[in-house]
Amino acid sequence: MSRVEEKRFLKPGRHLLMGNVAMSEAAIAAGLRFFGGYPITPSTEVIEHLAYRLPQVGGVCMQMEDELASINAVIGASLVGVKAMTATSGPGLSLMAETISMAANLEVPFVFCDVQRNGPGTGFVTEPHHNDVGFMRFCGNGEFQVITIAPINCQELFDLTITAFNYAELYRAPTFIMSDAYLGHLHEIVEIPSKEEILERVIERELPDDFVKKFSYKDETTGEYVIPKPPVMGTDYCPGMFLHQPHNYEGLPTPKPMQFIETLIEKINSRKDEICMTEEYKLDDAEIIVIGYGLPVRASYRAVDMAREEGIKVGVFRLITVWPFPDERVKKIVKNARAVIVPELNYTGMIAEQVERVTPLETPVIKIPKVCEFHHPNDILKKIKEVAK
Amino acid sequence: MSIGRMLPNEKPEHPYVLASYAGSLFGNFATRFCSGCGYGIIGQLYTRVFEDLKLDPKLYPTIIGIGCYSQILLIVPAKSQKILALHGRAPAVATGMKMANPKMKPIIFSGDGDCLGIGGNHFIHLCRRNLDCIVLLFNNSIYAMTGGQGAPTTLYGAKSTTTPYKMFENRSDGVKLAIAAGATYVARTTVAHPRTFIKYFKKALKHKGTSVIEIVTPCVTYFGRKNLDSLGAEYLGVKGEKMDTGGKMIDWIKRNTVRINQAKFMSEEELFNKYVIGEFKYDPSKPEYSEEYAKIQKIAMEGK
Repeated sequence: MSRVEEKRFLKPGRHLLMGNVAMSEAAIAAGLRFFGGYPITPSTEVIEHLAYRLPQVGGVCMQMEDELASINAVIGASLVGVKAMTATSGPGLSLMAETISMAANLEVPFVFCDVQRNGPGTGFVTEPHHNDVGFMRFCGNGEFQVITIAPINCQELFDLTITAFNYAELYRAPTFIMSDAYLGHLHEIVEIPSKEEILERVIERELPDDFVKKFSYKDETTGEYVIPKPPVMGTDYCPGMFLHQPHNYEGLPTPKPMQFIETLIEKINSRKDEICMTEEYKLDDAEIIVIGYGLPVRASYRAVDMAREEGIKVGVFRLITVWPFPDERVKKIVKNARAVIVPELNYTGMIAEQVERVTPLETPVIKIPKVCEFHHPNDILKKIKEVAK
Repeated sequence: MSIGRMLPNEKPEHPYVLASYAGSLFGNFATRFCSGCGYGIIGQLYTRVFEDLKLDPKLYPTIIGIGCYSQILLIVPAKSQKILALHGRAPAVATGMKMANPKMKPIIFSGDGDCLGIGGNHFIHLCRRNLDCIVLLFNNSIYAMTGGQGAPTTLYGAKSTTTPYKMFENRSDGVKLAIAAGATYVARTTVAHPRTFIKYFKKALKHKGTSVIEIVTPCVTYFGRKNLDSLGAEYLGVKGEKMDTGGKMIDWIKRNTVRINQAKFMSEEELFNKYVIGEFKYDPSKPEYSEEYAKIQKIAMEGK
C-alpha cells in the first residue's frame, strides 16, 4: 500500500474528534479528492482540516473567492470524475442554491455539508438552529428531489458521511449532510473501523459502461427509473455537451420537460425503500410516538426511558434521512398512535408539517419548537405526560 | 440545400476550401445567430485552430457562459466536450476541472456581461491565481440575448433598451482588469482582424498560465440598428453613419480600433470610446497555480 493510501485512513480505534473533523476524515476515507469551500462559521473547521489533510492524499482543497465559486468548482471537479464536496452554513447555502439546482439537472454527484446556524440573515452565528430543513428540500429554482442525512453524534457523522458519498454516486442527486453548530463543534469519541471495513463500504467512482445512456431515464418496459453511472469529462464516456435544459438520457434537449422532471424526482422517490434510513426505539407497544431527527432525538431517547419507568407506553421513531420523507413508514407507525410528538430545533416545525400530512386527522401532532437552545429530556417528558393523562 | 452532417472523406488542401471544411466539422450547420453577428466568425476560427493544431478534444474542454455566444457550442468542433456553465460562473467551473485533472486546459467562452458583470469576481480571482486556462472574452458591448440592455462595456453615448437616452456610465475595460488582476497573457483583437485572433489563440494555447483574449464583436440587431456610429455626439455636429448591417459594423469596428503601438502616442481623450488592440502583457515567468499546488501536495505527502 502506497504512502498516499496509508494516509487516507486514520488508525483504527478510538479517537477523540470534533464533529466537523470527524466528517472531514470520513470524507477522505470515502475517497474525497476535491474540496472547494469558503470559510463560514460554524463550518470553518472543515476547510481548515481538509486544507491540511487533502494534499497528503493527493487531493485538492481550495479556498475559493466566494460560495458561488466553491460550489461551481465542486461541480467542475465532479464532472471530470473526482469525488467532490463542499461545506457551508445557511447563508452560504442560499448563495449556492442556484448551482445546486443546475447540478440536480445535470445529475452531478457531490456531497454538501450544511452546518446549520441561526437565521434569518446573519443570525447568531454560533447557535444551532435547524432552520434550513425546508430550504434543503427545495434548494434552488426548479423541481428536483434531494437526499438529506441527519446524524446525531460524531460517530454517525463519520459513518453517515461515507453513506452520503455512496448515495451521491448511486443516485446522482444533491446529497446533504445535515449538521448544526452544536454537532459540528462537539468533541466525542469516534470508533474508526479498519481500512478493509471502510473500503468494503465505499463505492468508488467508476467509468460508466454505456456510451449512449448517460443520464437517468425511465425504462418503458419495466417502468423502472434507471440511473446510469455519472459521465466523466476527458474520457469517451461523456456527452458532447452538458446542457442544463430538460434533456433525454443522451444529454440532448428534449421537448418533454414533464417527463424529465418526473425522472429527476421519481428516480429518488421510487427508491425510498432503499434510501430512507430510519430507527425505531421501543416502538413495539408504544401508544405515544416521538418523531424526530438530528439532535433533539438524543433528548427524546432519554425522555422515553424516563417515561417508560413511569409506565407510559411511548417510543421514538427517528428519521436518519430527512428527505426524501418516508411517508409510508411514518403512516404505518402513527396509524394507531394516540398522539405524535415532534420535537424540533426550529419554530415552524418543518418536519411536523410532513408528519401531519400522513397522520390520521383525529390524532394530535404536538410540536415542541426550540430555537438556539436544546430540548431538555424533561421538556419532552412533560409533553408526554400531558398527552398520557 | 439540406442541413445536416456532410463530412468529406479527406481533408482538402487549399486554405479557402478549408473554411468550408471547417463548417462540416461543426456538427450542425444551423446556427441561431442573427445576420451580421460576429460569433459565427469566432466559432469558425476556433474550429480551424482546433483542427490545425490537432488538439485532443478530451484535454481541451470548453466551458461556456450564458449569453448569445452560448449557441456557439453548436458550431465548435463536434468532438470537443462542452459544458454550459451558469451565468458568470464559467471561470469557477474551469478552476475545479483544472485542479481535479491538471492535464486539462479549459477554454472558457465568456461574454462581457458574463465575465465583467455578474462573474467579475470569479474572473478576477482566476487571473489572480494564474490558473492554466484560456478566457475568450467576447465584447459586443451589449446584453444581446435578453434584448439589448446596457452592459458594463457599453460605449459612452450609446443607446440601449435600459439606457434609452444615452449611456452615461464609465466603461469597464476587460484587458486592464485582467492585467491588474494578474493574468499573464492578455491581448485584445476584433473579429475584423481574424488573423491576429488565430495568432493570439495559438500563443495562448502554448502559454502556461491564464490567458485572456478579448474579442470585439459586432451586434447588429441590438447595437448597430439602434445607434449611429457617432454614438450620441450628433449634437456636437458630428454626422453619424448608420451601422445596420454586418458589413457596416465591421467597418465601424475597424475605424474604431487603434493598434497598441499607435495608442502609446495618443492622449486619453483621443482614445475615448476606442478599442486598443494588440498584445498587452506576456509574462511566462510567473508560477502557475496547479503546478504550485502539486509542489504543496509533494511536501504534504512526504512531510512528517
